[in-house]
Amino acid sequence: MTVPAGTGGARPQLDGFASVRRWLDSPGLSSAPACERAGLLDLLVGLCEFTGKEPDALVAECLRTTTSGDTAISAKGRRRAEENIEGYVGSLGLAGHEALVAANRLRGFLIHNGIFMQGPASIS
Amino acid sequence: MEFNQVVGTRRSIRFFKPWKPVERSKIQVMLEAANRASRSMNADYPRAIVVHRDDLDEETRAALRNPTTTADLDLAPTYILWYFDLEYINGAQERLNELVDLHVLPPSHGWSKAYVDDLVWPQVLKPIADNQMALMFMGCVETGIAICNAVNAAVDQGLGTCLHAFTAADQVKELLHVPDTWVPVWLQLVGYPAEEPEAGGQRPRRPLSNLFFEGDCNEPWHEDLEVTEYLKREGMIQAPAPFPYRAQEVRMLSRMYGLPE
Repeated sequence: MTVPAGTGGARPQLDGFASVRRWLDSPGLSSAPACERAGLLDLLVGLCEFTGKEPDALVAECLRTTTSGDTAISAKGRRRAEENIEGYVGSLGLAGHEALVAANRLRGFLIHNGIFMQGPASIS
Repeated sequence: MEFNQVVGTRRSIRFFKPWKPVERSKIQVMLEAANRASRSMNADYPRAIVVHRDDLDEETRAALRNPTTTADLDLAPTYILWYFDLEYINGAQERLNELVDLHVLPPSHGWSKAYVDDLVWPQVLKPIADNQMALMFMGCVETGIAICNAVNAAVDQGLGTCLHAFTAADQVKELLHVPDTWVPVWLQLVGYPAEEPEAGGQRPRRPLSNLFFEGDCNEPWHEDLEVTEYLKREGMIQAPAPFPYRAQEVRMLSRMYGLPE
């Protein structure tokens, strides 16, 4: 795992990952303030640390190749990703709305890389 | 709301007001609209279970959730689980005879009880009853028509609605005591829209000439532009997506509910 901890210095390195560039280039984030993007990257670095995996690998683990050679979403991989996200957010000591938002931000990274998934909405 | 306006305003609503329950009376209107839909043989195809999110126990809520519908289920206060009953064919003979008695199926069009009993039942309906593919095809088509009425009735009453794949049918079957003969069709979410009812504008549609023909398939349907203008005035054809502020609307709603952006 080559992603360093979530420091300011780590962020430029994240830009080297195709999955991260794809995420940051998405319409909602490309024009977001720098501090907001930095916060998201910090979260992602944390998830990478927690799982011991690089960003591209987090995405790849949610995909599989079918017998006909097509790319499909791996239900097992997506479930693992969900567990990792929940586990990491739990490890941050967040709860309630804050935890839900953090987890959904991380889901956003996977979503913008083609992994269809939904997290819970904050309705209480 | 006028019919043309209802058809034009219908959208798949994905952001609901989770705090605002749907009045039971409005659900009844939707169900009655479904019940009044066109149906071959006057058979009872559709079945539906109405459930309210906040009345569900945790086990059922968890069973309904999956990685692709979690936010949807959180936001919508009411779900209608649509099925058709494979046994719809039972009683079709009696229902057709009922229509003969009511002068709905008249001799002027060749109908009689003798025709129903001696020909339609043994030669048409019975073979359908024995043909699983035909049963499934008709069940899906006819229930879809009923659901369409329910969707439009929801829009007419100011509700938002969206049809979703019925992904937790096995779990639901056990938890809600669904009979073995019911086949899941759609999961309909219902609530008051948190987004504008226009949901960012009307979705792209290809022109009629791409889809419809007159006389034969070499002759595309030619639109009468006066009719097109009339439908714009009536609200069936509305301003196309995206409204200039749609991206911001989605962003703000996502933030309100803590959803991914």
